[in-house]
Formats: sequence, structure tokens, C-alpha cells
Amino acid sequence: MPAVTFDHVTVAVETDHSPEPKVLLDRIRLELSEQRIGVIGANGSGKSTLLRLVNGLVQPTAGRVMVEGEDTVRAVRKIRRIVGFVFTDPLSQLVMPTGREDVELSLRRTVRNGAERRRQAEAALDRLGLLHLADQSIYELSGGERQLMALAAVLAVDPNVLVLDEPSTLLDLRNRELLRATLAGLEQQVIMSTHDLELALDMDRVLVIEQGQVAFDGDPADAVAAYRSLCLEGAQTRPPR
Amino acid sequence: MRGHGFLLANYVPGKSIIHRAPLALKFLLVFGCGLASFIIVDWRISAAVLAILSGLFLLSGAGLKLWGAIRPLAAVLLVIGLFQWWMLGAPTAARIVLNILVCVVAASLLTATTPVQRLLDGVVRAAAPFKRFGADPERFALTIGIMLRSIPYIAGTFADVRDSARARGLERNPRALVLPVFITSVAFARQTGEALAARGLGEAED
Repeated sequence: MPAVTFDHVTVAVETDHSPEPKVLLDRIRLELSEQRIGVIGANGSGKSTLLRLVNGLVQPTAGRVMVEGEDTVRAVRKIRRIVGFVFTDPLSQLVMPTGREDVELSLRRTVRNGAERRRQAEAALDRLGLLHLADQSIYELSGGERQLMALAAVLAVDPNVLVLDEPSTLLDLRNRELLRATLAGLEQQVIMSTHDLELALDMDRVLVIEQGQVAFDGDPADAVAAYRSLCLEGAQTRPPR
Repeated sequence: MRGHGFLLANYVPGKSIIHRAPLALKFLLVFGCGLASFIIVDWRISAAVLAILSGLFLLSGAGLKLWGAIRPLAAVLLVIGLFQWWMLGAPTAARIVLNILVCVVAASLLTATTPVQRLLDGVVRAAAPFKRFGADPERFALTIGIMLRSIPYIAGTFADVRDSARARGLERNPRALVLPVFITSVAFARQTGEALAARGLGEAED
């Protein structure tokens, strides 16, 4: 499995309402080599920032992130070939009018021949059982179909690592199960943030992120229990409105 | 998000003579119609050109898409037409409205009869001479692709915002209509940029 390492990574951003930068992630040290890694935590805890670092969408303020030995800042182009990223909302990810066109767009950089590109796009869609939806407008697809289409567009270029930022948030139960089954069948290393604790239990290792730090790292069942207890503590200490 | 307010027709598979026509010819047609809209000064000529283009559209077998392309524009064209009629008289108003329609129908004829990837390949070929000046032809293609995708998104956003404003009794408040569309469009542009960056698209060639 490709290893993703976080070496004392801090991410801080300037804000209008404070002279001090706001710390989103604080001195994170991790080595991720398991095939399926879940990231759970409250809204605003730093999950998305952690995931975005893996693809180079966010750069560390201090420290460095390495994927397969490549620095995500220095070798960002290479990193984006190695790491595929799936966003929460597929509508902001699919940039072409139909799924087929979007998958072909992914392949444009690597496959110059049009006929070969079409063949590879069809194969990528077929792998996820989406060929029959290939020419439909993305607006005519259901939420789950769109999410799978976005996944197909990312998988078409065969990344070694797949990062998914809360992919099931907008899905109903049926589509969520479809996504779950699809993810279970992937060969790639999967790093996924989620609020869906059942989905988190499918992982090999789960990180709980709390206020920019790793509050728990380990077995999924223990991680979910730790996260529940963190949430309950937070709910009890927060005064009622 | 509603996204069916298309301004340009989506590709309709077919084997008509329009589908089989060389891409360069279709590009020339769109370019020529755009140019003609500045040159034509007689509304009857505009009407004739529009009739010919509509005929070609029907010949392509994508006839229903024609109405889909024009419908989102109907209200805007009505406002423009009435304003121009009041300011400059009926013949000028008719010419302006018809010339806009000529441009939209010509562009729709291109998009309805050409698969997007073929269109993008054509743009890449057409932009190849600019490579010597440091331009990346793939970026030209990507820009066209994003434009095709963004038009229905923004039209859909407008429809959603209008419904929200109506639900709150603010349908006559221009700020309640324009501002959310503007903010959503900027957010969409940022998200699209991020999605392209995440996929390594639009970056300079290696």
C-alpha cells in the first residue's frame, strides 16, 4: 500500500476577526499505510483540511506531507496523478455536461487519441455499472448516480490513492449502500472523511479529529466509541439556548 | 440545484448531413452568424437567416432542442424587444431580437450536432498556432467545456433563487434575485477551480 505521511504538519489561516492566525491542524504526525482509512470528527474539526493536504489542495503552514515519497507541495503535479479526490457535492466536481464527456475530460491529458480515449472512458464507466447513464445530462442523474459518476471520472486515470471528502453526505440510503459496495471493491488505498459512523466501521483504521488534532487513532469500533464520547462531553458542557 | 435552463442545446446523436458536416464549417457558420449580427441592418434578412438556421436545425433531427435553447431567452428577448421598440422603433427592435436569436440558434446547431469531445478536439486544433506564443491549446478546450457546463448551472441557479424569492414574497426585489445568483456563481467558479486543480486539469503541459 502507498504510504501517506504527515510530518509535524500545521495549517493556519489568517482571519479578519483575530490578529492571531487560526490553527486548523496542529502538528499532525501520521503514517497512513492501511488500505481503508476513515477520518471522523465534528464539523470544523479539520477533517477536510487533513484530506486536502493529501492532494496538495491545501499547503501546510509548517511541516510536510509526503505521498509515495513525493512532497505534496514540491511535486504537486505528480501528486495529483497519484491521488484522486472526490468532493462532497459531485455537481461541483463534474465539469462537463454528461458523464461520458467528464470521464473523457479526465483522460485528455494522458490519452491523446480520441478513439482510445472513448474506449477507456467506456471501460471506466462500465466498471462502475454506469455505461447506460453515460450520455445523460448530469442534472438528470440522481445524487448517487452523480457521486458514482464523479468517482468514475477520478478512477479513470487510475490513481494509487483515492481521497473522498464526506462522499455519502448527500445520498439516500440506497445510494449510500451503492457507494459503500463500490468503495469496498476498489483496489486503491482509500482515505475518506465521513459523518456516517456505519461507513467508518468498514474501514481498517479510523482517525478522530478534534480541534485540529488527532484525538484517537486506531481500531474503527474504538474510534467510533471515542468520537461518541467526545460528542457527548461536548453536548453536556454546552449551555442550552 | 435545477440545471435544465439550457441556453445551448446538448448533443443529440444522429447521422444527419449536419452531424456529418466538417467541424470547421460549423465553426465558420457560428462565427459568420456572430459577425452578421453586427452587419445585417434589415430585419427581413435577419428573419430569413433565422428561418434557414431553424430549417437546418429541424433537418438535423434535434428539433425539440431548438425550443429548449430559445425558451430561457424568451423573457429577456421580450424585454429587449419592447425597450428597443420604444427607443428606436419596430424594425430596429425586430432586427436586434432576430440577430440575437440567429446567434443562439447557430451556436445551438453546433452543440446539438457535435459531441463535446469532438468540439474540444477542434478547439485544440484551432488553438494550436498559439502554442508558439506559450499558450496551451488544451486550456482553450477546457474553457469552452466549462462554459458549456456553467451556462445551465447559472440558469438553474437563477430559477432556484427566483423560487426562493417568490416563497418569501420578494419576487419584485431585484437585490433578492441578483445578489444570490452572483454569490452562488462566484462560489461555483471557486468550486470548479478547486475540482479542476484536484484532477490536475488546466495545468501547464509537462
